[in-house]
Amino acid sequence: MASLITCPHCGVRPKEEFAIRGDASLVRPAPSASDEAWHDYVYVRANPRGRTVEHWHHVAGCRRFLVVERDTVTHEVYSVVDGAAAAREAQR
Amino acid sequence: MTAYRLSSGGLVDRSKVLSFTFDGRPLRGFAGDTLASALLANDQLLVGRSFKYHRPRGIVSAGPSEPNALVTLGSGARSDPNTKATVAELYAGLTAKSQNRWPSLGFDVGAVNGLLSPFLGAGFYYKTFMWPKQLWEKLYEPVIRRAAGLGRAVLERDPESYEKSWAFCDLLIVGGGPAGLMAALIAGRAGLRVILADEDFRLGGSLLSETETVDGSPASAFAERVVAELQSLDNVTLLSRTTVFGWYDDNVFGAVERVQKHVADPSAKLPTERVWRIAAKRALLATGAEERPLVFGGNDRPGVMMAGAVSTYAERYGVSAGKSVAIFTSGSSGYRTARGLSAKGVTISAIVDSRADASDAAPDGVRVIRSGAVVDTKGRQRLSGIVVERSGFEELIGCDALGMSGGWSPVIHLACQRGARPVWSEELKAFSAPNVGNGLRIVGSANGVYTLSGCLRDGVEKATAIATELGFNAAAAPVPVTETETETEGEPSFAALWYVPGARSKAFVDFQNDVHARDLGLALREGFGHVEHAKRYTTSGMATDQGKLSNINAVGILAGMRGVSPAEVGTTTFRPFYTPVSFGALAGTSRDGHATPTRKSPLHEWARKNGATFVDSGLWFRSAWFPRAGEKTWRESVDREVLNVRANVGLCDVSTLGKIEVFGADAAEFLNRLYCNPMLKLPVGKARYGLMLREDGFVFDDGTVSRFAEDHFFVTTTTAMAGAVMSHMDYCAQVLWPDLKVRFCSVSDQWAQMAIAGPKARDVLQQLIDEDISEAVFPFLAARSMVLRGGINARLFRISFSGELAFELAVPAGYGEAVAEQIMEAGRAHDICAYGVEALNVLRLEKGLLTHAEFDGRVTPDDAGLGRMFSAQKHDFIGKHLSARYGLTAADRMQLVGLKPVDKDKDMRAGAHLLKEGMKPSTLNDQGWVSSAGYSPVLGQHIALAFLKSGRERYGEKIVVWDKLRDHEVVAEVCDPVFVDPENKKLKA
Amino acid sequence: MVRDYNNRHALDQKLRGAPKPAHADHLEVGHWQAIATVLAHVGLDAAVERALSSTPDLSLRYCGPGEWLVVSGVDTPVGLMRRLDMLCGTQAHVVDHSDGRVLMRLSGPSARQILAKGIGVDLHPAAFVLCGSTNVLCGHIAINLARTGEDVFELIVSRSFAESLFEDLMTMGRPFDLSAAFSE
Repeated sequence: MASLITCPHCGVRPKEEFAIRGDASLVRPAPSASDEAWHDYVYVRANPRGRTVEHWHHVAGCRRFLVVERDTVTHEVYSVVDGAAAAREAQR
Repeated sequence: MTAYRLSSGGLVDRSKVLSFTFDGRPLRGFAGDTLASALLANDQLLVGRSFKYHRPRGIVSAGPSEPNALVTLGSGARSDPNTKATVAELYAGLTAKSQNRWPSLGFDVGAVNGLLSPFLGAGFYYKTFMWPKQLWEKLYEPVIRRAAGLGRAVLERDPESYEKSWAFCDLLIVGGGPAGLMAALIAGRAGLRVILADEDFRLGGSLLSETETVDGSPASAFAERVVAELQSLDNVTLLSRTTVFGWYDDNVFGAVERVQKHVADPSAKLPTERVWRIAAKRALLATGAEERPLVFGGNDRPGVMMAGAVSTYAERYGVSAGKSVAIFTSGSSGYRTARGLSAKGVTISAIVDSRADASDAAPDGVRVIRSGAVVDTKGRQRLSGIVVERSGFEELIGCDALGMSGGWSPVIHLACQRGARPVWSEELKAFSAPNVGNGLRIVGSANGVYTLSGCLRDGVEKATAIATELGFNAAAAPVPVTETETETEGEPSFAALWYVPGARSKAFVDFQNDVHARDLGLALREGFGHVEHAKRYTTSGMATDQGKLSNINAVGILAGMRGVSPAEVGTTTFRPFYTPVSFGALAGTSRDGHATPTRKSPLHEWARKNGATFVDSGLWFRSAWFPRAGEKTWRESVDREVLNVRANVGLCDVSTLGKIEVFGADAAEFLNRLYCNPMLKLPVGKARYGLMLREDGFVFDDGTVSRFAEDHFFVTTTTAMAGAVMSHMDYCAQVLWPDLKVRFCSVSDQWAQMAIAGPKARDVLQQLIDEDISEAVFPFLAARSMVLRGGINARLFRISFSGELAFELAVPAGYGEAVAEQIMEAGRAHDICAYGVEALNVLRLEKGLLTHAEFDGRVTPDDAGLGRMFSAQKHDFIGKHLSARYGLTAADRMQLVGLKPVDKDKDMRAGAHLLKEGMKPSTLNDQGWVSSAGYSPVLGQHIALAFLKSGRERYGEKIVVWDKLRDHEVVAEVCDPVFVDPENKKLKA
Repeated sequence: MVRDYNNRHALDQKLRGAPKPAHADHLEVGHWQAIATVLAHVGLDAAVERALSSTPDLSLRYCGPGEWLVVSGVDTPVGLMRRLDMLCGTQAHVVDHSDGRVLMRLSGPSARQILAKGIGVDLHPAAFVLCGSTNVLCGHIAINLARTGEDVFELIVSRSFAESLFEDLMTMGRPFDLSAAFSE
């Protein structure tokens, strides 16, 4: 896990300022989606070796949910972007 | 008398005599000594007993790799066990005690283990004491633990203080030897923000025990000049007495600074130790190289030391390890030690060289035995001679100290702490650092550069490269000139010698854990030949020194036995910490009351003045009850408070609730999606109870939602979930529905909020407010901003958590105390009382109102009897879809009920389970559980809220309340969970 | 029944008594200040920031995208709310935080060293510039930190945490004889 995260709004910050929520690739299903889709969304998680995208909440900073793309093996952080921007992008 | 202080030389201040004691014996040393050098100067070579065999052990090294000289410093609560005497700075009044000996260091009963040693091989304990199993805990382990072991931790509270600090720099240099100092100088002059950390109390590293001259002056004087220049640079921070113990992600380093470990009377202002977290753009590892011991028979006899340590004691501390010193070497380094000692007038009895054809120059007149090997040592608690074998002939050579040198290993621990493995270098005959990128470079002898001039040059070059990389201008600097040193000398011209054949007695690999060469053979034979297995099987390298001296030889011996290269055996894993760090330092100031922050309500002082007893509630201090004169138990106070609220009126601090302002054109839509009950059509000026679910359909939190304007809501949460709800809202607004026009912020701290509850609540409150707050104008669930008489902006809510006529009044936090006092004054004629969270809890229990005792994450709205709040008509909200799952709608789910003991005098406790009468307690027979329980002064008996299978159909049934934990069992009647005023007549009065 | 209500400062208990002479490193706490949170309407971040930063007497503290704390040393809380409503009432939501936040001013030659014990952000003037501000963690407590001078920092903390933060700061400042008092 990273020691420092570069928040797009606040700059370089220690990991203690963040709360990690988990997989950021999940998309909340439509209300009418199947039970399976909802089950997967709520309960099923991958445990990837390598690249992963996660939501990190900058609780002690700007309080934004950030999408952190990082490597679970090397701990390298590839990118950190604002979660709302990423969500809008995904909905497009 | 054998080891002694030389008449001159060294960097100790002979004018400053320091008195100290070792095992109670008063001794003297000089300023600049370590405890080890002072002990040696006092001929106290024997410093401890070994871990398993209790063999006498002496000082081996002159640095942090020391396996033997572990002592307890200080006494009482301040005692510090397992301190390495070789790095402990001497100070006046220091008290040191040897460890692992009984009754005394010289005579140790445990040494009988040594006689039993043929039976005490690796794995002996596991094999022997396996059976019978129950004896392990009761008998074997305590006895073994007493026999083995290091210093004892004390049980007193640690009186020292500690702290942590962040630091940021362009360049962190780990190690203040020749390479590190030169790098700091170049980078410092170029303007980089430099931090130089060294574990020694004096910067200079090997320069302090060097016989060489640099730029025309003694190496130590050169070091002093460089340090003085570094001190003059604002952009350079020098941290001596600081061990960099870990390298973490993103080039963050952990270091511990021993701020005042070296003083008898620490200043109360300063911490004893300080942990640094250093975020460095670049770092240089200038940690030098470690000399390797030789594994030969009797190599643990006190008096056998590392050759480099013998040099250091002579050159830096002016102490000779003996009157007559022998050298056993597999390379050039042993000769260097011999020349240095000889120049100081110390007799060299012989140089035993394992190589056949070395060209190194011995001091004049010193006998060199080539192709020789030490196979045994003589003496009891001190070396008296060595048995040297050469071409089948043995010879006894008298000496009182032996310097051994088995070559050098770069100190590369930090570079390997993030997963990269060391790389075997055939050229260096050592494991060298892997390439870990530009963030951390290796320099000097840590980089396999073994000449002084080479180290100085490496420092200059690497620092220049880093400065350029970071955009600084490093002026070209000449490399300081070393005079007598030739390039070849000091190169690793040693032959790898992992094990000296022909040992006549135990040849130790790991001194501290008493692992000898044969143990490794046993491990291999029994199938534990993998380096990680052998380590755990033999415990080699698992002592407090983490095998700094021993690991390389263990690898070499395993390689030899397996017939492969050390590259193939590999090393064990390097992890932080490089050397042990005290728990105190790691905790820093986060201890006692400061482990977490304490939150105080704006009404804290008001409650204190009213005699409140406080209770910890998460981070908060909350007023629990307000005892009055004559009340002997908390129950008396709580009962009185409850009855007074039911009969008259009470005031309770509810400021700790989470409070959130929600704004925006889509605020109503946003809240409508957050809560399971409808929020869109909540009228302005009204409040509504709201229930939030998790996406899995279980209740997340409850609270109230009030609407102040079309686009302005005010939301409250429970105290416990305030933070979690806020984060949930952030997530929903930003990630799930980023296009909703909604903004919100927490105002939990802005408002002091108090509940005024009881039949006379309105009469009291009306006295503070001009506006009419009668039932007709301000009915149940009204919510409005208003101004108190005297001009305070306030918010008033007609909500109740007690079932009584009640208001919640919010005022700006700073006015909370004054307003609460005013209400108490206004209420005096109405017999108002202050009530705390205990009474609050009883009041809600009597009314069947719920808290997180009920909403424990397993409860759906319907389970809690709140099914009518679930708005199936809404298109979507958090938790809607999965609420429809079969498991969450099953008819036999646990449902909220009330319980009353059949025998009125009996009580119940939360956590008890419910059983049908006559049924055996089992998971299968479990009928539910008690979530909350308490004494109802209104009913005059204990009552409880519980979750019971199909509970709502079972009112009137008798059920067993079974509490095995407290060995308690009562029969209770299942009833409606609302015990008081089920028609809500009082609420809407 | 009419009376004047006293506003009690969150640090009354800690700073009670006559102010001691300030040392070189000093923590100063104002008896009162007007502070408001401004939340820009979606998409109007830049407009709101422009409106606020061009106003004298108001100091803008960045919290996150479209969110600031506005500090005024001259307005009453009600006055500040009124002024902000006029300035950006149509572009932003304004929330009074005068009672919910406590402002502490740490000044002196060791200010940076003191703060480094709690704050994992580079406070070198090249990295944390004059007039810069940000939300940050200090020890266990989230605060807003602003640099108002070379050696002067202002910390804004939630009221309920103020005593804890104050105690932490005094511990952090102990080696430097940090003093503390209410403003004159």
